This record gives sequence, structure tokens and C-alpha cells, in this order.
Amino acid sequence: MKLPRVLGLAALASLLACAPAARRPVAANASAPRWFGSTALPPGNVLRFNLGAEPETYDPDLAVGQPDGRVARMLFEGLTREDPQTLEPLPGEAYRWEISGDGRTYTFHLRPGIRWTDGRPVTAEDFRWSWIRLLEPKTTSRYASFLFAVTNAEAFNKGDVKDERAVGLAAPDDSTLIVRLDQPVPYFLYLCQFYSCLPVPRRTVERFGNRWTLPANIVGNGAFTLTYWRQNNRFEFAKNPAYWDAASVHLDRVVGYTIDDLNTSFNLYKAGVIDWCPSGYFPSSFIPYVRGYADYHHGDYQGVYFYTMCVKRPPIDNVWVRRALNAAVDREAIAQDLLKGSRRAWGDFVPTGYPGYENPPGLRFDPAYARQCLTRAGYPGGKGFPRGISILINTSEDNRRIAEAVQAMWKRELGIDVAIQNEEWGSYLQTVTALKYDVARRSWLGDYLDPNTFLACYVTGDGNNRSGWGDPRYDAMIRAAAKELDAKRRFAILRGAEALLLADGPVIPVYHYSTNELVKPYVRGIYQTPLDVHPLTHVWIDRDWRRGPPPVASASPPAPRSKAITRRAAAREKVR
Amino acid sequence: MNVATFLLRRLLIMIPTLWVIATLTFFLVHAAPGGPFQAERDIPAAAKAQLMKTYGLDRPLHEQYVSFLTHAARLDFGPSYKFPQRQVREIIAEAFPVSLELGGWALLIAILIGVPIGVIAAVRQNSSLDYAAMATALAGVSVPNFVLGPVLVLGLALTLFVLPPALWEGPQSRILPVLTLSTAYVAYIARLTRGGMLEVLGQDYIRTARAKGLPESRVVGKHALRLGILPVVSYLGPATARVIMGSVVVESIFSVPGLGRYLVNAAFNRDYTLVLGLVLFYASFLLLLNLAIDVAYTRLDPRVELA
Repeated sequence: MKLPRVLGLAALASLLACAPAARRPVAANASAPRWFGSTALPPGNVLRFNLGAEPETYDPDLAVGQPDGRVARMLFEGLTREDPQTLEPLPGEAYRWEISGDGRTYTFHLRPGIRWTDGRPVTAEDFRWSWIRLLEPKTTSRYASFLFAVTNAEAFNKGDVKDERAVGLAAPDDSTLIVRLDQPVPYFLYLCQFYSCLPVPRRTVERFGNRWTLPANIVGNGAFTLTYWRQNNRFEFAKNPAYWDAASVHLDRVVGYTIDDLNTSFNLYKAGVIDWCPSGYFPSSFIPYVRGYADYHHGDYQGVYFYTMCVKRPPIDNVWVRRALNAAVDREAIAQDLLKGSRRAWGDFVPTGYPGYENPPGLRFDPAYARQCLTRAGYPGGKGFPRGISILINTSEDNRRIAEAVQAMWKRELGIDVAIQNEEWGSYLQTVTALKYDVARRSWLGDYLDPNTFLACYVTGDGNNRSGWGDPRYDAMIRAAAKELDAKRRFAILRGAEALLLADGPVIPVYHYSTNELVKPYVRGIYQTPLDVHPLTHVWIDRDWRRGPPPVASASPPAPRSKAITRRAAAREKVR
Repeated sequence: MNVATFLLRRLLIMIPTLWVIATLTFFLVHAAPGGPFQAERDIPAAAKAQLMKTYGLDRPLHEQYVSFLTHAARLDFGPSYKFPQRQVREIIAEAFPVSLELGGWALLIAILIGVPIGVIAAVRQNSSLDYAAMATALAGVSVPNFVLGPVLVLGLALTLFVLPPALWEGPQSRILPVLTLSTAYVAYIARLTRGGMLEVLGQDYIRTARAKGLPESRVVGKHALRLGILPVVSYLGPATARVIMGSVVVESIFSVPGLGRYLVNAAFNRDYTLVLGLVLFYASFLLLLNLAIDVAYTRLDPRVELA
């Protein structure tokens, strides 16, 4: 009695899993693009998409995750704003700026006539106050470190400096903001558009406390305003007529549903209830099925899936053991066979896509070398290798499959036995932070377009290090790079640091993240970006989409661009 | 004992029961590894200390416990840790009506369909009708929501395009989740009704009723059903509480903004205040429902007395 029922369930489950493939229509014309599911136009100038998991907050100073940032970026605009294709900083609330010769003083000039949605002007003081709020210890921001380059900002955040006037921020008049940095930060303009650095309306914040972001209270300066919010259901935004660039905002309304179930998100896209299913919001096992459709977009995403090794515990405290484990991992097999090519095997720690940065040669699968290393560590052929070593993963089907593959590779190539230990997210974080693991799955996503967003994690004692590893040479290189003005020399130093991290450090890179998203053909202006950030300011609904793409791809205002970046953008365009 | 005294006594007993539940939950949730303020990205020590201070988590556990109890007594659970701009109370007030609607429809359908099926099956015991009804019921009980939901979506929403695949917007969006949620209850209630009815139909007073010439519809519909339905009534207490407090599976599949998802996610997020608020809300609801069922019993079966 029991067996047939189980079989029935399995059959049902596999039926469900195959559903997208089974329903694939046969194309009449092989060259015509095929679209996945409904292509019925939305009613009116509205974009409906899956915003992802429910944001914890969208107060820019407290926001922590991608969904949080998505909402914050729609409601507020920083000094700079992203180019929708390259994410390069374009003039936002500041219409021009000057950078001093030593790269340490930025003078921003605010656009005349910019206003909050309550009619008050947006002033330089608003920015200064917002950034001080981000830094203030009592705000409890998790991203205060984004502004640590500003003079005295770190000391102010730690409570060592009490006087906010000591922080290198000044607003001599309503339209001028002067920022002084301790060191030149080549990516500072990128930070200005990160959601933590968006301005917040002082009066509203002071009046409503932590309830200032509720739709009834909130005041913004971005392209859209918040008109409706229901937790675990949706956000509704309307075009902000007072926005300085309102003339080029084409959407009247945006609806961001907060759907955390990936299958549900996929179903809603197929049925045409949502027009855009951003990366990560449909099951990765469906990628092979949707690959043939023209609304599937795929690109590199600035994130790396890796294994971290806790160097405080034997035998992994031995660098030769770490090298052996590293060289015995067959990344290609994981990416191609296990994940069906939906990810790219990656042997470096810093992902690709940073303008001007070249990774050192990545780690390669080399069983012979792995065995040599293990012999040098004193465990020839795995003999005498301690038992009870385990790979810690947080509960997920993909994590388990990858861990099983790695477990098998280490057994096959090195003759060592490791266990797999599975914990739910909260316990897993606790275990990793407390360094109570041997090997653990981790991932890291970049925040801005610079290798520093990755490499700074492994400075000795950094809160994101979580491996116990530290090397004075490495720390010195990261410090030296921070002081280096010349981009080429700076990248050379960082490249050296990355090479050192790969050779001696606690990381086993596995794969490079990719963006996998579904965009309906009538949605124009959503591009692949390495940070998976998509400004919706210039997105529009093309009611004539069947006649082909419009002559001008982007409606964003022209901006000065460096040649290198233009070339890169062109190259990316071609790849797509 | 009259009804008022009975109610008062039972309500008073609820207080220590809730206290025990609150205490157990409080210490269990604090014993879980990790805490509410941890993330993949490290939180600076200063920010973390400030957060702990803001929420009183830096104080000794017994102090936190006392503070929690005194606030909970006034139905104040404080702000959610995960969604700091919202009070636990507000979250419950917003999500509960949704779960109530979804669960209410599901329960109504379960009773309206389940009871007649059970009665017919009992009256036609061992007929092919009975076998068909009970086989269907067995299937209904056996198919879990996470299979039934996606199958319904695949068939009705993605193949026939007659219903929305998910979301809680407009009357059509109610159909699939209610159907998914109610199926198991329809089946279970049908089985319970059949069992109860079979037992009652063999009793003397039914024979008496038939002997005095009452039409069969009246014998079954009035005299037998009144007692035959008692197992269903006692099952309805916990079932109502469960179905109305939200089903995390159905709410996830159909993206329904109800209470069920909050409870599960709050536990994963170590959102202490939200977990405690939801557990106590659920517990009070369940206790009240059981009380209501006990009172209903006395109305249906004159032999049962309040005690």
C-alpha cells in the first residue's frame, strides 16, 4: 500500500519539475524568438515585478539586503545615480562635482530646484545630516563602514569621536557638500549611489522615529513615491511628478510583489501576472528549460560561491592541507555536470567585471599536485588524516549536492573521509562566526565595482573573515592599495593580495554567480548589470514591441564616459 | 452548574495554561543557537551592542523574562526585530484577517461538502456509493497540500488560464488556495461523519423514531445527525484553530499574506518578539475554541453537562 503511494508522489513531483519543458511550444519558425508564457501587455504604463523576500526595512541607513535596497533606490536618489547599463555614476542630485588633485576632497554641487515630496528643498545639509545619521552609533546601521573613508567617520561610528563636526563632511551652503577623505577612494562615486548613502528627510525621520518609512509618513526625493505597502504582499509606487528628471520617467506605476516562493514567482511570470522575474527568483533547476526562450537573460553577477576553511583547527591549520583540499576540487565538474552549466566554474576569489582589474591565475583542479601537498602535510595517501572533519552547509538542495560532490572528490583524489553537517540558516551563521567548523560553504556578493569589496574581507580580524586566517603581508598590501592613487599600480597590488589569499588562505572558490532573469519582451530598459542593480527610472512598456526594439536602446541622458567603459559596454552588448 | 460560572472558571484556568506556554516558548526561543541580529555580512560590534541595548537583550535572561511577561500581560509584545518599523500587534492585526478568510472559506467548504458525503456514505453503507466516497476521502487525506497546490496551479492557472496562479487579489484568487486547503478537511470530516453516523444509526432511539413512522429524511437529518456529528464537532476545535491560524504551505504556494508564513519565518529569523506574540495568540485562540466546542456539545447532546 505504501510503496505505490510514494511512487505516485514521485511521479507527480517529476511531472511538476518537467512542466516547463513539457509545455514548451513547438516553434513554427526556428529563427523567430520564442517567449515564455503569456506576452499580454499590462494594463497601462505599469511594471509589475517580483521584489523578492519581504524587505526588513527600506530606511536607507538601515537597509541590509537586495530587496531593501531595491525599494530604497526607487524612493530616494543619491548624489550620483547609476547608468542603467554600466552602473557608472552619473549626475543625480548633484549635477557636477570636483575632485581635488590628491583624490581626497570631493566638492558636490547640488542641482538647483530639487525637492522632497513634501515640497521642501533638498539641501547639502540634508546629505550631511543623513550621512551623520548613517554613522551615528545609535542608528545601528550595518553599512556605516561604507563611509569610513571619510575623515573621522570610523572613530565617530565607534564612539571615540563624539563631535559630529569633526567628521569630514561640510555643507557651507544649501547647494554645496564638501567631503574630505583620509585616503583617496577611487570608487567613492560608486559609494555615493549605494543605498546606504541615499539621503533621508530629516524632519520626517525626527518626527516619526522608526515609523517614518510607513507609506503614510514617508517623504522621498527619488523617481517614485510609495503609495501602498502590505507586508508579505506588495509595494506600490507611483511616478513622482516633483522628481527633477520626471520628464524621462515613463512608468506611471510600479508594483513590486514580495514573493519568496521561487516556484510561485515562476508561475506568476509565466501567467503574465508579473513582467519581470529578477535574478534568483525562479528555481535554478528550471534554467535548462527556459534557456531557449528569448526572455531569459543571463550574465555574470558579482558574487562567488566558495568554501571557507577554519585555520584555527587542525589539520586545516596546515597550509599544505589547505592546498591539497583546494587542488582536489573539480570546479568544472560541479559547474557543468552538477549545475548543468547554469554557473561558471571559478578559481579566483574576486569575480570578473571590475574595470581594469585582472585576476591572478585561478586555482585549478590538479589531483597529482593535491596528493603531493597532502604528502607534504604528513598524510601520504590520506593515511593518518584525522577523522571527524566535516563540511558545514546551510540547508538547501544545491548546497547539499555540491557538498556531496566535494566530499566524493576528496575521497577519490586524496583518500580522506569528511562528513557533511547541515544546519538551518541561523545556527549555521552562529557556527561559522564562532569558528566552530572545519570547512563551510559561504558566498560573498560585491557592493560596488571594485575588488576591494571582496579582498577587504580577509584582513586579519575583519568581521567578515570568519576563518581565523590572517597574514601581515596581506594586510599590508590591502593598506598600501588603499593609499595608492594610480589605478594600475593599485590593481597590481590587489592582484598580489588575491594571489596570496589563494595560495595560503582559507578559501576554496567554487563558482561564479550569474544573473538569471526573465523579462517580458515589452519591458524596455532593464539591462544585465554585474551588481544585479536595475534602476527603474527609465524603464518603459513598449506597446509596439512586436515591431522590434526601438532605435535608441536607452533613454538615459547622455553622460561623459571613459573610452574603456564604453568599449566594455559595447562588448557586453555583443555578447548578449 | 450554570453557563456563566462554567465560562468564568474555564477562562481563569486559561491564565496559568498561557503562562506555562509563554514561559516554555520564551526559554526555547532564547535557547536556539544564534540571535536575531546576525547575517551573512558581519554587523560591526558597536552596532550590535547598540541593537542589543535598544531591545534589552543585553540584560540577564531572567530580567528579560519578567519584562516580557509584564508586557505580554498587557498584550504588548513590542516591535518585531526583523521588521523594526512594525509592532507585533500590527502584524497580527494585518495578517490574521487574511488567514481567517482563507481558513473560514476552507472550513465552510469542508463542512458543507464533508458532512453530506459522510451522511450519504453511512446511510448507504457498503454500497458502491459508500466505497467511492470513502476512497475519494482517503485520497483527499493522503495527498499533501504541497502536491495538490502545484497540480491545481498547473492545471487551472497555467494550462487553462482560468484562474490566477497565486496572489491574494480579487475573488478568483481565493479559489485555488481555499480548494487546496479544504480538500484534506473535506475528506477527514466525511470520514468522521460516516463513522459517527454509523454508530448512531444502530441505536435504539433511531429504531423508535422509525417505528413511530417518521420519514427517513427526518430520522437521519434530525435525530441521527444531531449525535452522529459529535465527533466532527470535537474535531472542529483544533481543526479550526489550525486552519485559521494559517497554513505555511498554502500561503507560500499562493503567496497569501497570512499568519502561517510569519510564524515559520519568525522562528528561522530568531525574531523573538514575533515568535512569542504569534505563539501566545495561537494558544489563546485554541483554548477559546476548545471552550466554545465544549459549550456547543451541551447544546447538541442533552446528556452532556457542563462541569
